[in-house]
Amino acid sequence: MSQSLRPYLQAVRSSLTAALCLSNFASQTAERHNVPEIEAQTSPEVLLTPLTIARNENERVLIEPSINSIRISIRIKQADEIEHILVHKFTRFLTQRAESFFILRRKPIKGYDISFLITNFHTEEMLKHKLVDFIIQFMEEVDKEISEMKLFVRFSPPNITCNGGPGLTDITQLNARARFVAESFLTPFD
Amino acid sequence: MSIIQQHTAASLSDAWRTINIDALEEDSSVNFDTSTLHPALPEISEADVRQINTQVRQLLRGGDAEGALRGSLEMPVYNGSDLAKETHLHTVIEVLQSIKASEMTPMLQRIYGTPGGSECLDVLMKYLYKGMAATSAADGSSSAPRTPTRMTPQQTGFSQVGGRPGGANESTGGAMSVLLSWHEKVVEVAGLGCIGRCMTDWRKV
Repeated sequence: MSQSLRPYLQAVRSSLTAALCLSNFASQTAERHNVPEIEAQTSPEVLLTPLTIARNENERVLIEPSINSIRISIRIKQADEIEHILVHKFTRFLTQRAESFFILRRKPIKGYDISFLITNFHTEEMLKHKLVDFIIQFMEEVDKEISEMKLFVRFSPPNITCNGGPGLTDITQLNARARFVAESFLTPFD
Repeated sequence: MSIIQQHTAASLSDAWRTINIDALEEDSSVNFDTSTLHPALPEISEADVRQINTQVRQLLRGGDAEGALRGSLEMPVYNGSDLAKETHLHTVIEVLQSIKASEMTPMLQRIYGTPGGSECLDVLMKYLYKGMAATSAADGSSSAPRTPTRMTPQQTGFSQVGGRPGGANESTGGAMSVLLSWHEKVVEVAGLGCIGRCMTDWRKV
């Protein structure tokens, strides 16, 4: 693990642990509804100060806590457009399967690549420290996987198109690889 | 028979469906007055902030880094103009960057041990988060249209050269790593409670 990654993940870990203090809270606007307050935004008093943890301009995490839910948005490092495509494919694969991924939000919030939404029902069902571990592990692995996928593209010479960008066959390979990696993230939720 | 008595252009279009009617009702939870959640805060002007800045700089030049840190944290700008808040954030970050890594933990422990030290560290935590948010947002806005600009055909050929913002990236990374290591040290000394207080406190820096 590189030098600056450790304090970054440590900061995310401690902030997440502090933010994951959720309790059941019924909606104040609609009777007999129970909605994540951070998404509904109908009661300003139950939304807490959002926390940003940044490693540099391209890598940051936004934690938006509220009384019964927190939203964690991650901006994954993208140094060039191959990585941009890879991140897009990877997150797309995951978000399309959001229902089997419980805590994943179907759409990332603006400016970020992937968002998680953890409600009090998730923390009641799952162990809090495991949830934190999962997010941290996800952040650790995703950088590694994106770099590996990138190498995978680079080291398949016949498929490189003349302008250096990924060709059609590369994209299929990338799809396969992205799917493989994304599936390995899904296994803890089976 | 239609319940709409008179047809107008406004009633025929769907635009009225997007009106948030909760906001129009006084008793609605949307209109909760959040200013009741914190005590009245004295307004701090930009002149005050600049005065603190010069005092803190003098202390730093005199070698009293701890005094400078305390001085900058004892009067946080909760109620003031954006410029005042921004200036004070820069003052705090300046102090943080001038303190050596080996001195961080003992200094924080000394501050934490003194009366009012716990509040000081809460304020420090607020400024750490604000510093990270401000720096990344400022850079984020400059590189916000990253997708369209980077997808230009000229740049795709030399993606690794063109894609990186270069020196700017390195410098913000350096500033961030200072804030991140301070964050780690503050959590070590003051515990997770100071993050919790930082989230729940309505007095925002």
